[in-house]
Amino acid sequence: MKELKKLLAHDHWVMPFLRQQKRGLWSSIVLGFMTTFAAAALMFISGYLISRSAQHPSNILLIYVPIVLTRGFGIARPVFRYVERLVSHNWVLRVVSKSRQRLYQSAARGASSIRSRLQTGQVLGILAEDLEQLENLYLRTLFPLGAGMLLYLISSIGLGVFNWAFMLLWMLVLALILIVIPLASLTLNRAKVSRQKALQSDLYTDATDAILGMQDWVLSGRQADLVAKEGQTMQKLSRVKGKLMAFGWWRDFTIQLLSLLLMVLIMIWATHQFGHSFFASNYIAAFTLAIIPLIDSFIAVNQGVSESSFYEDSIKRLNDLPEPSAKSTAGIKPQTTTVVFDQVSFAYGDKLVLNDVSFDLLAGQKMALLGPSGAGKTTILKLLAGDLQPMNGRVTIGGLNPNKLGDELPKIIAVLDQQSYLFDTTIENNIRMGNLTASQDQVQQAVQQAGLADLVASLPQGYQTPMQEAGQRFSGGERQRFALARILLQDAPIVILDEPTVSLDPKTEAAVLTQIFTALKNRTIIWVTHHLTGIEAVDHIYFLNDGRFTMAGSPQELLAHSEAFQQLYAMDQF
Amino acid sequence: MFDRRLLALPKIKVTLLYLIVLTGIQALAIVGQGISLSQALVWLWEGKGLSSITIPVLLFALFFGLRQLLVVVKNYVMANFADQTVENYRIALLEKYAKLGSPLIAKFGTGQAVSVLAAGLDNVKNYFQLILIKVGDLSIIPWIVLIAITYFKWIQGLFLLLIFPVIIIFFIILGLAAQKKADDEYQNFKNLNNRFVDGLRGLPTLKQLGLSRAYGQEIYQISEDYRKTTMRTLIIAITSTFALDFFTTLSIAVLAVFLGLDLLNGRMTLFPALSILILAPEYFLPLRSFADDYHATLDGKNAYAEVLEVLDMPEMTDQNQLHLAEWRATSNLQVKNLNFSYQDQPNLVDLNFDLRGYERVAIVGESGSGKSTLLNLLGGQLLPQVDSQISIDGQELPHLAQQDWQKQFFYLPQAPYIFHASLKDNLTFYYPQADQKALDLAIKQAGLTELVAELPDGLATIVGEGGRQLSGGQVQRVALARMFLDPRRRVLLFDEPTAHLDVQTELALKESMAPLFEDHLVLFATHRLHWLKQMDYVLVMRDGHLVEQGQPAVLLAQADSQLNVLRDALHQGVKL
Repeated sequence: MKELKKLLAHDHWVMPFLRQQKRGLWSSIVLGFMTTFAAAALMFISGYLISRSAQHPSNILLIYVPIVLTRGFGIARPVFRYVERLVSHNWVLRVVSKSRQRLYQSAARGASSIRSRLQTGQVLGILAEDLEQLENLYLRTLFPLGAGMLLYLISSIGLGVFNWAFMLLWMLVLALILIVIPLASLTLNRAKVSRQKALQSDLYTDATDAILGMQDWVLSGRQADLVAKEGQTMQKLSRVKGKLMAFGWWRDFTIQLLSLLLMVLIMIWATHQFGHSFFASNYIAAFTLAIIPLIDSFIAVNQGVSESSFYEDSIKRLNDLPEPSAKSTAGIKPQTTTVVFDQVSFAYGDKLVLNDVSFDLLAGQKMALLGPSGAGKTTILKLLAGDLQPMNGRVTIGGLNPNKLGDELPKIIAVLDQQSYLFDTTIENNIRMGNLTASQDQVQQAVQQAGLADLVASLPQGYQTPMQEAGQRFSGGERQRFALARILLQDAPIVILDEPTVSLDPKTEAAVLTQIFTALKNRTIIWVTHHLTGIEAVDHIYFLNDGRFTMAGSPQELLAHSEAFQQLYAMDQF
Repeated sequence: MFDRRLLALPKIKVTLLYLIVLTGIQALAIVGQGISLSQALVWLWEGKGLSSITIPVLLFALFFGLRQLLVVVKNYVMANFADQTVENYRIALLEKYAKLGSPLIAKFGTGQAVSVLAAGLDNVKNYFQLILIKVGDLSIIPWIVLIAITYFKWIQGLFLLLIFPVIIIFFIILGLAAQKKADDEYQNFKNLNNRFVDGLRGLPTLKQLGLSRAYGQEIYQISEDYRKTTMRTLIIAITSTFALDFFTTLSIAVLAVFLGLDLLNGRMTLFPALSILILAPEYFLPLRSFADDYHATLDGKNAYAEVLEVLDMPEMTDQNQLHLAEWRATSNLQVKNLNFSYQDQPNLVDLNFDLRGYERVAIVGESGSGKSTLLNLLGGQLLPQVDSQISIDGQELPHLAQQDWQKQFFYLPQAPYIFHASLKDNLTFYYPQADQKALDLAIKQAGLTELVAELPDGLATIVGEGGRQLSGGQVQRVALARMFLDPRRRVLLFDEPTAHLDVQTELALKESMAPLFEDHLVLFATHRLHWLKQMDYVLVMRDGHLVEQGQPAVLLAQADSQLNVLRDALHQGVKL
């Protein structure tokens, strides 16, 4: 319970939408209630109708109203249900639209223009799934719960009109069914639910280990171990799930028995209330039969509330996101584009990633940055893009701290990384993203410079060819060239090349690098690379190891004087 | 409604028998519950007073309780059966995957293979647990209820019997219309969903381009389009349930009115009429509950079909043709006219070579020349065409997926798989019986000492997916440690192990690898030609042909050798 309160207190993903979208929410709940109400009314009226008919009234007109009402409620129930489902789904999808926008804005605020090794895409994919989970929270938990509470309220008032003492009894039993049992099952099952979720993700990990590691299992001759290992998780999972299910079965059984109690109670009460008169006795069957359709609603409330702990993680993850920032930050444009790192140090927690790093880069100069993974290359790029602030020392672009650049940043720094993303739209739209106001000529020129003119001309749809998801239609080399055309349009004086050719074969790599360095001849380039192909194109080479420059100089100097470099060069260029 | 293959499952017949008997009793309880309630209400209506209805109310409670208890019992019976069945399928699936091996799994799709094993089996379990109960209910309960109703008044029974197919037909017709609509809109759905994920995935790029803020509105528009498309489909899909709902509810209303009129005219008394009214909803209930879970049925059925499809896939045969205790300095592997084609495209054409003892052999060529394919054939992950001749120590073999051969070699791909397990379990994967001393030595030889010291829990640290991430170089070192640890395997297959690593890491790894090359047959596929210095022999590949073979030093010395042609092609350099 405490955790739940804590969750809701910091919530900015569920409650605000409920508050904002009140009308649709209420309509869904009221319609849900009306569905149950119409079903109960149908049984009530039918019960009354046959009881009354059995008294052989002298005139058919005496049962005319019940006949009409019977048909009316018979039609009303499915209609209410139909409308309820449409309204609630529409409402939920509207909320999803808003939350998607919000999720995106939140993510955009936290996102960096430098790709980290931890795949942002995957993290965001999980969040997108979390939003879908919330759909179920609304549809399966909140709406039935709201409808159930309304049923509680209105049925109690209705009975109170006849007999307030019986109303209290009714309220007591219904409180048991609609409040005590759901909350108890939520509390009792929370630990099991989180265990089930953990085991389910273990099952995925195990399955991944089995499939992707299959070659190792087979070659090592350990297939039997594999079967046994997987079996353990599966068994644990089915035990937890079995317990949860059995709990649900017995819970529903208990609710059925309580409903039975309700029926008997209402039968006794109705006999006391109406049994003394000839006409009123028709209400005994009416009231008793009306309980039967209510049981569905009782069970839906219980299932919904018990399930709600399944969504806890999703809500928690979403709530952990930063609040989206609404306003843009007008930046200052620097006068020059000289990049200076002056005795810069940086640490993540207590792990020192950069230790007293200094370099400067004048406009139009090109530097290469090499080093094993974890050496601090990405940190240097993030400091330059203003995503991180140095712990000691200064990073400046034209004398300004990069985080002063604000919205000007994309006009100063362009990035071409390992997997520059191509969006699922046309070629032209993708390239134009570099500069939305570019003329057709400028687009064509960029394509020409990126060496894509022939390729685009060969496509039947030309510039209007759809790129397809993540540019899968084109080869790796072509994709990087499209990204290059895009940053050519962006026309920023400083370009970060973050291993743009790492996934290409040597021949394509050489061709793409030629294209890149030719097209970006006059710009400042900071190029992170993993080997020495094309290294002649830069003015400075820096080797970064454990946060320090261990080797630096122009290619000519290093070749002439550094034995370590000569060894690497000989190996790489053999 | 369900698969014939279900009937071949162990214990299915006994389980179904239980199910039928329990459901039968349940149906009788439903009838008893309705009649006793009706009796109690009639006596109360007649003014006999509460004291008169003790017995019918007790009977009602008894039948009601029994019916609900049977629901729970049936769930237990079926859950037990579903657990056992799925466990059997799980073992069968894993054994099957192991027999199929990685290449066939890759053809099937690794993602799909994982999901069959995880979510797929879960769906199958639901299928067995839920669906059999619902089908059982639907095939027994309505008919017993109908018999009771007909007994009271045959014309009402006939009405209910006739309306049943009408409801089903409407449900099916509208269901099909909804399905068609959903199919029509499917592409639209997919596009919209992709564009949302697209925006999220491309976020760093949008940020780089200064467009991240503007795209927020775009996301909203996409989502709103998505909502509209979904609602268009839902309107029809929900109509299908509406039809079912409408006809069943209206049938009860119509029935009530007919009963009322019959009573009015004195053709009937209250007791049978009330009984029919109470029983009529029970007649429709199984159908409605089945329709509610119809989609879960489909998911389960498809998942089940997928599992069976995997189990039916053809396996490799003749895996025990080779008898080889150990690859020795005198052993030899002969390959004549080796051919391999994929999807009717020849990938390797007429390869001939001999490998002897503890030779170190480089396989070089540009991307797509066939060097990885050749390595996969030598590792038995791919099967050659039947006209190829392969022999080890004179034993003719149809392919190299031989169990005795697999015990001889290590395979080191570009990105070895790291299991979600402790670092120690990963290191000792091929040799779990290794003692600490041997392990320490292997760690030292593979250059992992520093990493182990740095990890918070040392060797016990969990690595792999979801655990501590290792860098590309560290992953390669883990694989090297496995090789150092297991002295029995005398053949090493390397597939571009350093292609994506930085030069310094590559150089460091090269030094670690050198001792491994002693006393092993080494096959090393690469386009990084500096490795040639460590090799005794080289196979030069181009477009699926073996264009040259010989000693590297000799071939490098010939200016016009194919090896030198390759070298020039790989080092065109960046031209400015």
